[in-house]
Amino acid sequence: MAVAGLLIVLFYLVLAVISPYIIPYGPYERIYMLDGSWASLQPPTLAHPLGTTDSGYDVLSQLLLGSRIAMFVGILGAFMVAVIGTTVGIVAGYYGGWIDEVVMRLVDILYGLPFIPFVIVLATVFGASVWNIIFGVALLYWLSTARVIRSEVLTVRERPYVEAAEAAGASDFRIMTVHILPNVIPLSALYAAIAVGYSIVAQASVAFLGFGDPAVPSWGVMLQRAFVTQSFGQAWWWTIPPGLSITLVVMGAYLVGRGYEEVVNPQLQEK
Amino acid sequence: MKQATATFDFDDDAPLLAVEDAVVTYSTSEGDLTAVDEISFSVDENEIFGLVGESGCGKSTVAQAILSLLPSNGRVSSGSVRFRGVELTELSKRELDALRWEHFSLISQGAMNALNPVHRISNQIVEAIQAHRDVSTDEARERVAELFEVVGLDPDRMDDYPHQFSGGMKQRAYIAMSLALDPDLIIADEPTTALDVIVQDQILKRLKELRDELGISVIIISHDISVIAETCNRLGVMYSGKLMEYGNLKEIFANPYNPYTLGLQNAFPTLRGDQSDLISIPGSPPDIADLPDGCRFMDRCPFATSECGTDHPPLEAVGEDHASACYHHDSIERMREDSKNRETWNRTGADAATSGGVGDD
Amino acid sequence: MVNKRYIARRLALMVLSIFIVITILFFLFRQVPGGPMSAFTNPRMSQAARQAIIEQYGLNDPLWRQYLRYMVNVVQLDFGQSFYYGNSVSSLIFDRFVNTMSLMLTAFVISYTVGTYLGAQLGWIRGTTKERLGMVAVLFVRSMPVFWTGMVVLYVFSFQLGLFPIGGMRGTGASYSTMAEKFLSTDFLYHVALPVFTLCTYYTGLPLLLMRNNLLEVLSESYIDTARAKGLTSRRVLFVHAARNAILPVVTAFAIAIGFAVGGQVLIETVYSWPGLGREMVQASLRSDYPVAQAAFALLSVIVITMNFVADIAYTYLDPRVSLGES
Repeated sequence: MAVAGLLIVLFYLVLAVISPYIIPYGPYERIYMLDGSWASLQPPTLAHPLGTTDSGYDVLSQLLLGSRIAMFVGILGAFMVAVIGTTVGIVAGYYGGWIDEVVMRLVDILYGLPFIPFVIVLATVFGASVWNIIFGVALLYWLSTARVIRSEVLTVRERPYVEAAEAAGASDFRIMTVHILPNVIPLSALYAAIAVGYSIVAQASVAFLGFGDPAVPSWGVMLQRAFVTQSFGQAWWWTIPPGLSITLVVMGAYLVGRGYEEVVNPQLQEK
Repeated sequence: MKQATATFDFDDDAPLLAVEDAVVTYSTSEGDLTAVDEISFSVDENEIFGLVGESGCGKSTVAQAILSLLPSNGRVSSGSVRFRGVELTELSKRELDALRWEHFSLISQGAMNALNPVHRISNQIVEAIQAHRDVSTDEARERVAELFEVVGLDPDRMDDYPHQFSGGMKQRAYIAMSLALDPDLIIADEPTTALDVIVQDQILKRLKELRDELGISVIIISHDISVIAETCNRLGVMYSGKLMEYGNLKEIFANPYNPYTLGLQNAFPTLRGDQSDLISIPGSPPDIADLPDGCRFMDRCPFATSECGTDHPPLEAVGEDHASACYHHDSIERMREDSKNRETWNRTGADAATSGGVGDD
Repeated sequence: MVNKRYIARRLALMVLSIFIVITILFFLFRQVPGGPMSAFTNPRMSQAARQAIIEQYGLNDPLWRQYLRYMVNVVQLDFGQSFYYGNSVSSLIFDRFVNTMSLMLTAFVISYTVGTYLGAQLGWIRGTTKERLGMVAVLFVRSMPVFWTGMVVLYVFSFQLGLFPIGGMRGTGASYSTMAEKFLSTDFLYHVALPVFTLCTYYTGLPLLLMRNNLLEVLSESYIDTARAKGLTSRRVLFVHAARNAILPVVTAFAIAIGFAVGGQVLIETVYSWPGLGREMVQASLRSDYPVAQAAFALLSVIVITMNFVADIAYTYLDPRVSLGES
């Protein structure tokens, strides 16, 4: 399962890198019919394996280019979630006391901000851009990670070697990075893998609602165009590929995360 | 609730429980593992039988095999487990459910997590009763109150949740539950492990009284040979999936024939003087995925010789209702003497086989 | 007996959360390029309406006074006037709120019932081929972006098969005198079917996966051996003993789920043109109708925070160990 997930993710990662060199048409290059009219909503043909959009653009080219923004958002989002969530979780769990109390109450309060609506607010206030998504992910998606890491740290810090390090006078920073961090890395990795999926879906969702950057071809923007023009009622070749791609990448990332966790945590294999 | 019922062809001449050549295997990703290897013993009416051994020796697996509670990857791959002559390993789930609790029940480490934390204790006992008897909830609750009296608990507290009870109280409540249907046999898996010594003592006394008053038979499974010594009539000593010594408790304790039994006796208090005399057996049992060719205990046995390296010794009768598995029964007098010295146990393992074992000298 | 002090503390946190969220919103919306003043460029508005807005918001006052006034108004459930509709935000938002809840609660009840049930079943048959296939299917469905699911469902059931309407909440010409009539009519069911189905595909995954994983943990507890040794039927062991314990973390996870659920709600309301809070918020944002956007977001947050609260309290009822104020 994990191998299948890895293959899917690698496939789209490779696409993201090479897509500018292999796309047959520009993402917004209009295709014309023989009679000179726009090739609007043409079903798949050999020349256009995934057909065309209502504006006569090549779906395959848009799809391939769309992998770039998805992978970019996914990886950057996951990175932010892992870094912020792990740092906050370790600090709260290690120091405990009022720091822990304040951080955990902050987490509780931030749980009250629904993500998609919040990014819409950001987009309204700061204008449509991919950075809103990244910012939103950085601000709201670390919550679960921090919670889980914190409770893991609470158990790790009671272990003899951590107490020994404390007794030996190691600095807090050293204990947190050398003794505690390696123990929580597998959990961070799992949550990061899940965050890849969340970030990609979040970006697509926000773009679908019309708060994405229309100049950048992304899977979300493709679906938004198919929706607002109501073409999705007939042009399945326009809606299925981007949606399926999102689904596969999200699932692939999740499987990789779970697989990694199983490798480092053999107890799970039994289940 | 629908009652589990089935009719059985009980054989009144057969022992209450007879385990014969039972082998329990677990299928894992590394292949089949044998956790219990050709074990035979029997339990009669009105007796307390003890199974003792270090953790991982397979004693709990035996309990699970009797109750058909083996994990999904485990099974009794050969041999038989008969209750009053009825072969348990061949029963359908339905038939088994009819026997369970009605004829043999379980006492697990109730102090830990054996009572469901989200249900009231009374309801858990009522449930056991109503799963087998068509009685009203009120009648069942009366029975619960009665049972609470029997085990020395206040019936007013039967509607408490398990977490409101102390460890000892939970264990008593669990015993009350196991007695609910007057079973013939109770299998008690480490019944006192998590309890302090005083409560442990009370619980064991209670079990003996129940045997005497209600005529129930009990199998006690424990790693603590002193618990067994205090309560049992008969005994089996297990090591690494094998029965090492088996028979009448008094007989075994008076004349132990197996080096492993000698070691166990050294390792626990109350049998031989005070704490300072305790000698534990160095090393740990072999990995069941990688068993030695010879005697399972060889690597830790101070009396091992090259002879021990060929095969695991068979159980041999050494007295009336007393058998032991060892190649050196002849030199038992010397082994008993030597086993009292701390130094003896330091020369264990392979070196013993080459230098100064009992041998035939 | 639920611990009263716990409820009081939890209630205080809830109020504080709502307060902070509304505050964050207030200051965020002051950052709009050109400020809320940009609404003045809206050609639809009359001179009088502009004056009214200046009066209403006191936009010339210092920020802290605007903030104070806004908070005082919010406490009185006054969110001002809509730039776009021209009438009271509160009444508009309330109507949308009812529509949102009718859809969301229906989907939630179905998803959590079906999800926990299927999750328990999947956990019970662990290790079988059936379970493995089931897991792949669940993971796949759970990975689908919900708005895309909505589009595919519409494509199949409305555009191709013509079985259901492509959107909206009621047929043209349908009108109702009472709320009950509106939500119990067959016309409503006809319109709510596809959105509920789509939301269910999205909501069901979490309780299902959690339930399965928890069940696997619970099945190794010794009280499960006890239950089996008692001779209970498999069904009874599964539902009365295992599932009853495994469901506890599902209730806790509800807190996390609800934030995502509201996001899904916004998307689905857009796909199905459902006149709810989420769609209103999206449109208000696109129209620069800030009072409505702000109020809609605030109310969505209130839903999340309240459901969080409810989940926490429900947990104390489900787990006797917590309700007695221990551990």
